[in-house]
Amino acid sequence: MSVSFNKRDPIYLQVIQHLKRLIVSGKLRPGEEMPSRRQLANDFKINPNTVQRAYSEMEEQRLIYTEPNRPSHITEDPAVLNQLKNEWLNKAMATFVSAIEPLDISLDELVPLLEEKLQKRK
Amino acid sequence: MIELRDVQKSYGRKKVLDGITFTANKGDITCLVGVNGVGKTTILNAIMNLTPIKKGDILIDGEKMTTELYNKVAFIPDVAIMLPGMTVGETMDFMKDYYDTWNGKRAKDIVRFFRLNTTDKLSELSKGNQAKVNLLMGLALDVDYVLMDEPFSGIDIFTREQITEVFSSRLVEDRGVLITTHEIVDIEHLIDKVVLLDNGRIYKEFNAEEMRETEGKSVVDVMREVYNG
Repeated sequence: MSVSFNKRDPIYLQVIQHLKRLIVSGKLRPGEEMPSRRQLANDFKINPNTVQRAYSEMEEQRLIYTEPNRPSHITEDPAVLNQLKNEWLNKAMATFVSAIEPLDISLDELVPLLEEKLQKRK
Repeated sequence: MIELRDVQKSYGRKKVLDGITFTANKGDITCLVGVNGVGKTTILNAIMNLTPIKKGDILIDGEKMTTELYNKVAFIPDVAIMLPGMTVGETMDFMKDYYDTWNGKRAKDIVRFFRLNTTDKLSELSKGNQAKVNLLMGLALDVDYVLMDEPFSGIDIFTREQITEVFSSRLVEDRGVLITTHEIVDIEHLIDKVVLLDNGRIYKEFNAEEMRETEGKSVVDVMREVYNG
């Protein structure tokens, strides 16, 4: 697993973003065991304290859960997973809308283009 | 915790350390950075009691350095410290006989991690592999703190990558690491605390992740402000 981090944003937020991507894409499945903090730090070549912080934050957001002396697991709570998907989609839409803002383009023009792109993805 | 309080030292009339105060916590990687001049190595030497200081205190877990406390701290200098005619394996045997804190199992793990060959003679090793042997000797000791002087100086990029991986590995575990370097770019992601030195003084001491979070600045951004400003 190789991730490139930028140097100006907090690394723990970049780690969370990366793990969220794996969750929404289904690469990390509900209930799946998370790598240990040390393992992830070693895989990403970052500070273990940073991974600890990312995991704590994700525990607070209920994305992962940890029982004492056990590895952390991805949440199985459908409400939390749905919320994550919505959050991801809203963010993506906001980025998209802001990127096309300079263009004078109507929804009618946009929809077929979007459909075409989505077709190609499949 | 390693704690320096108002440490001062001069060579003749030149002040080398001019009121150095900082802490390096257990479980953290603390990086002493300076672009030039003396100071960094002198600080490590002073912590190890290898050079006398004129004023100030140096405390390890709240106590002044004593012979017993040496069992808590390992110092890895940036020069070869063993006889060049010895092999890597002989060096390990020597360390085992000489240090109570030598951990043979971890030593073997490190040899594997660095892909060193125990039958190689030290004199025939590349500069990068010599640096790895130095690290091996310090990291294989069961100590709470590891001081490393310029572990990246004069080393090719691939060896540097391997050495960098040590810091996120279980070979460092929850020990306190204090390293000096002027090459910070490769390890920005790995360090907790940065202490910027110039002319024997501390210009700034900060947590790298906090700096990114509160000011959106990389460690190098801060260094640029300090050393160019």
